[in-house]
Amino acid sequence: MFAMKHKEKRLLVIALIAATFVLTGCDNSSSEKDSDEMVLRHVLFTKIKGLDPGNVRDVYSNTVTSQICETLYQYHFLKRPYEIVPLLAEGMPQISDDFLTYTIKIKKGVRFQDDKCFPGGRGRELKAEDFIFAIKRTANIKYLSQNWSMFDGKIAGLDEFRRITKGCESEEDVDYSREVEGLTASDEHTLVIKLKKPWPQLVGTALADIATAPIAKEAVYSYGRDIVSHPVGTGPFILKEWRRGSYVELIRNPNFRGEPYPSEGGPGDAKAGYLDDAGRIMPFADRIVWTVIEEYQPAWLLFLQGKVDNSPIPKDNYNEAITETRELTTAMKQRNIRLEKFSDPSTFWLGFNMQDSVLGKNKPLRRAISYAIDREEFIEIFFNGRHLVAHGIIPPLMDSYDPNIKEKGYARYDPEKGRELLKEAEKINGGQLPVLKMAVPGTDSFYRQFGQFLKRHLTAIGVNVDVEYMDWPTYMEKVNTRSVQMFCSGVRASIPDDEDFLGMFYSKYWAPGSNRFNYLNPEFDKLYEKIEVMFDSPERRELYRKMELIVLEDCPAAFLNHRVVFALHHDWYKNYKPHAFAYGMSKYRRIDMKKRAEYKDLLKKIK
Amino acid sequence: MTSYIIRRLLYTIPIVFGVLLLTFVLFTLVGGDISIEIAGKGATQETIEEIREEYGLNKPLFLAWDSQFINHFKSALTFDFGRARDREPIIGKIKRGVGPSLALTVPMFFGIVIISVSLALVVASVRGSIWDILAVFICVAGMSIPYLSFILFGQYFLAYKWGLFPVFFSPDLTMAQYVALPVLIGIAAGLGGNLRFYRTVMLDEMRSDYVRTAFAKGLDTKRVLFKHVLKNAMVPIITRVVLAIPFLFLGSLLLERFFGIPGLGYLMIEAISSRDYFVINAMTYISAILFVVFNLITDICYSLVDPRISLE
Repeated sequence: MFAMKHKEKRLLVIALIAATFVLTGCDNSSSEKDSDEMVLRHVLFTKIKGLDPGNVRDVYSNTVTSQICETLYQYHFLKRPYEIVPLLAEGMPQISDDFLTYTIKIKKGVRFQDDKCFPGGRGRELKAEDFIFAIKRTANIKYLSQNWSMFDGKIAGLDEFRRITKGCESEEDVDYSREVEGLTASDEHTLVIKLKKPWPQLVGTALADIATAPIAKEAVYSYGRDIVSHPVGTGPFILKEWRRGSYVELIRNPNFRGEPYPSEGGPGDAKAGYLDDAGRIMPFADRIVWTVIEEYQPAWLLFLQGKVDNSPIPKDNYNEAITETRELTTAMKQRNIRLEKFSDPSTFWLGFNMQDSVLGKNKPLRRAISYAIDREEFIEIFFNGRHLVAHGIIPPLMDSYDPNIKEKGYARYDPEKGRELLKEAEKINGGQLPVLKMAVPGTDSFYRQFGQFLKRHLTAIGVNVDVEYMDWPTYMEKVNTRSVQMFCSGVRASIPDDEDFLGMFYSKYWAPGSNRFNYLNPEFDKLYEKIEVMFDSPERRELYRKMELIVLEDCPAAFLNHRVVFALHHDWYKNYKPHAFAYGMSKYRRIDMKKRAEYKDLLKKIK
Repeated sequence: MTSYIIRRLLYTIPIVFGVLLLTFVLFTLVGGDISIEIAGKGATQETIEEIREEYGLNKPLFLAWDSQFINHFKSALTFDFGRARDREPIIGKIKRGVGPSLALTVPMFFGIVIISVSLALVVASVRGSIWDILAVFICVAGMSIPYLSFILFGQYFLAYKWGLFPVFFSPDLTMAQYVALPVLIGIAAGLGGNLRFYRTVMLDEMRSDYVRTAFAKGLDTKRVLFKHVLKNAMVPIITRVVLAIPFLFLGSLLLERFFGIPGLGYLMIEAISSRDYFVINAMTYISAILFVVFNLITDICYSLVDPRISLE
């Protein structure tokens, strides 16, 4: 009897433990704080590094920081081609006749978010001095900002200010009240910037970049080095919680002045519903949650469950989402999922180190390698046929893209020509070519397949290659110290201007600068120096094309592909117009709460 | 025993010094200069030099009071590991990650040990039977399936298809909710190897003379297994169990990554991939200390379970 009781007791304990385990683990949706709050739910595919605008340089950190801190200008949400419009500025800048002085009026009544760094905790009004502080901070060498290169040699007196900071003990010892000739405030709401030489991209590059977004100086002094996790800005959202490597949660900023949703857009925007909210005061969402998910499976499953609003299409799930005709599958349509396709201003390549003793002096060899790669097969295998073949540097989205570029360079598949050129290359080399080394910036299966693909094509024309797979930091170190022969890389434009692409071939930017090819062509340099100070015009666009042809002729890279993005979103996720420079966009997004609530029933019905 | 413990603690000094020297040589001398990478794209030489100064990379490596090695040594001894590359204090990162990591690894660890030791006893008692063969077959099958397959399968079916668990971490969930599935998966994946090991240990004991004597004296199977076999099998069990404890601190890399558990496994892999040597050094140092301490605990436990073992 006793034994029986004992056994029963044990079974009961086991059952209780199991039940607790299952019940606590059960996906109980009621625990989610959805209620009537409008919550935007997104995924970050890599962790963010910091939320201090002065030192933000990566896409993901920028995505979050730009909801908290604002810039003077931004790119219009709907209009295409991209148009720069004021954000914290009252209007477009007044530019002096010599193009050296910019006078910018700042909106009045803009307040920083409330924070304990302010007296009484109440956010003060934004002033022109705050922009000066932001730019000086980037110049402070002790602050180690990654954004300094943007201002290097551009603003009068700023380089001298930077030199002075070098003598300071630490970041905190720098005297920001020291005057800089090119950065002054003629009154509390007027910022005056004086340049050393014309800089046409000032507004589009610097003043629309998160690096110049004001962060309250009270917060900088109060939080010291912890400012990376205490951004105090003027934006529509404020940071509620950031658990590093896990999630970021923002809530609506009660001090935000409120901005009206655009009333004008591009052709077709009204029909697509992008103007439904015209004139309504933004932001619409109460809360934004970004969860860091570095693996595609959980991100995809959460999207299908309706727990995140939008998603890219992981390569392994492509056939589940997209048909052979590049449309949504029935399964996706049943879930009311929408597909957005858009061209990304990016170019990827196999680069050659022009200072390498074998590749640098052998133009036929570089051209032969470029002819060896079947780009269409490459895109089919690695990107499900989504991307576009890159025949040049400038991607199709840009104004100066040449539609006939295919015929003008060496970025096309022609193995026969490649073999012929290789004979010439061997003559230049004085005999058989050595085994070339190719640096690939990753060690996972994707990069290994990628390396194998390139190796197969190069071997097919007789070029022997040793593929070196390495982690990103090692790769960067090798590229920056100019110790690679061939390297796989790419770039995405940060502004709708081709300077980003062409600057990569300017000889003053050799590695560790952006010219990782270590390319030098005096004719190109001369043209670059000319376009650098030119404002947008048909003449400048013509020069861009000319410069692209010079580069294609010298072939410092085998251009491979331009990215085309296929993005999915649920039909409840409104105002999701693809934007190539999508920073500070969460204020435009709106959730159709009724549709989101109905999704659970829809899933049951589908099952 | 006290003198033994003191002696063993003194032995830890050269071990810790060795670990510090090794991590320094590996990351500073072999790993190379990280200043270019920290400086980011398009950085000037001036910025790179400033970073070298900020991180003390321009100081001599060994032969100076203010050398990089001495500073590395000092920071370890004082547990002041400084800031990670993202400017967050490292100790803060570790403190924050310990909870989630242990919430995952501790139940997983106890689950695996309790289930595998209990099953091993049962299976060993019916050795040669269909149940024993079946258990060995399942163990081998379980060991042959990659860990990642357990994760993908569990996440897809248990969480996504059947909705029994959340697919991924969310700030709206309690810790119990988001660690439940990874714990289950961890137990399922770890059971095969452990069960086989403990079965072998139990079988070794079952073949001993004292077991035959016990059965000859008429003791029932339950008593022989739990009172005699289990007790005598404790030494290899303790070795395996106690020495595994320091690794609990390191969390579980794959599970943390696939389920978004913000633990130390995740922190470690992030640090390795971004070459954040400051974090790697801190984690390696703490792990080494834990390993030394638990080694000592293992030895003490031996003497407690087996009076024949003398610590002197």
